[in-house]
Amino acid sequence: MTPEARFRAYLQAFNASDWEALRGYYAPDVRLVIGNGTLLDGCDAILAFYRKVKRETRRTIRVVQCFAEGQTLAAEIESEFLATEDAPDFAVRPMAKGDRYYLNSFVFYDFEGEHYTRIRAATFRSEFRPAAAN
Amino acid sequence: MNNGAAGLRSWFENYLAAFNRADFPAFGDYYDPDIIFHGQAARLVGRDAVLAFYHEVHSHLQERIELLGFVGAPDGSRIAAELHTTLLALRDWPDMPTGAMRAGDARMRVSFAMYDIADGRFTRIRTARFSPPDGQAA
Repeated sequence: MTPEARFRAYLQAFNASDWEALRGYYAPDVRLVIGNGTLLDGCDAILAFYRKVKRETRRTIRVVQCFAEGQTLAAEIESEFLATEDAPDFAVRPMAKGDRYYLNSFVFYDFEGEHYTRIRAATFRSEFRPAAAN
Repeated sequence: MNNGAAGLRSWFENYLAAFNRADFPAFGDYYDPDIIFHGQAARLVGRDAVLAFYHEVHSHLQERIELLGFVGAPDGSRIAAELHTTLLALRDWPDMPTGAMRAGDARMRVSFAMYDIADGRFTRIRTARFSPPDGQAA
């Protein structure tokens, strides 16, 4: 499987909240830096973070583009967060039920074999749409 | 323009070298006449507008870019780069778009940049600022 195909399968597992499948994409000591600079250190920390995000919102990720060279894949992804409950401590900003948040990010994924070892994201563009505006 | 991934990287490194020595004709030649530019400090359309912007920037400060990471698309149509930028203010610039600077101030940042390429020129450049985890310098 190419790095690009593996990446699309990884996001498919993410969108399906298939936690066991997701675990298989990460090295145990993977480090992930999300757009606001928060470091998630290790596979378990990442999965715990995403489980919380997905309890509060329905997050869907779309691949805009991805390509790989050597041991790094570069991706542009678009995320939509739809708050399914009030989430005053949501990672990006406080969200009320029904609010939507869009995020366009540039991300580098370093990998060894079939496992991501380092993931770093930078936010290119974001947009908040309160429930009343939807 | 390039002969595979190594050629694309070399081509891009030459662009950064020209940029760092403020060789406007050389780095301007990498821009498509209708380039779309979404930088941290400006959103511009067209080579002339981008070069005018950089002339303004260089009249106030030195800007040096170091390539930290590079990913080139196999077909040569895109580049993703991790860039470390150092800004050194040569004189006061209270209206600096990303925040006022005083003469002698230095500012550093890491950005992830996406370049679209057609016919040997950049047609679109977009940059996003990377926020390193607490305690780590840019």
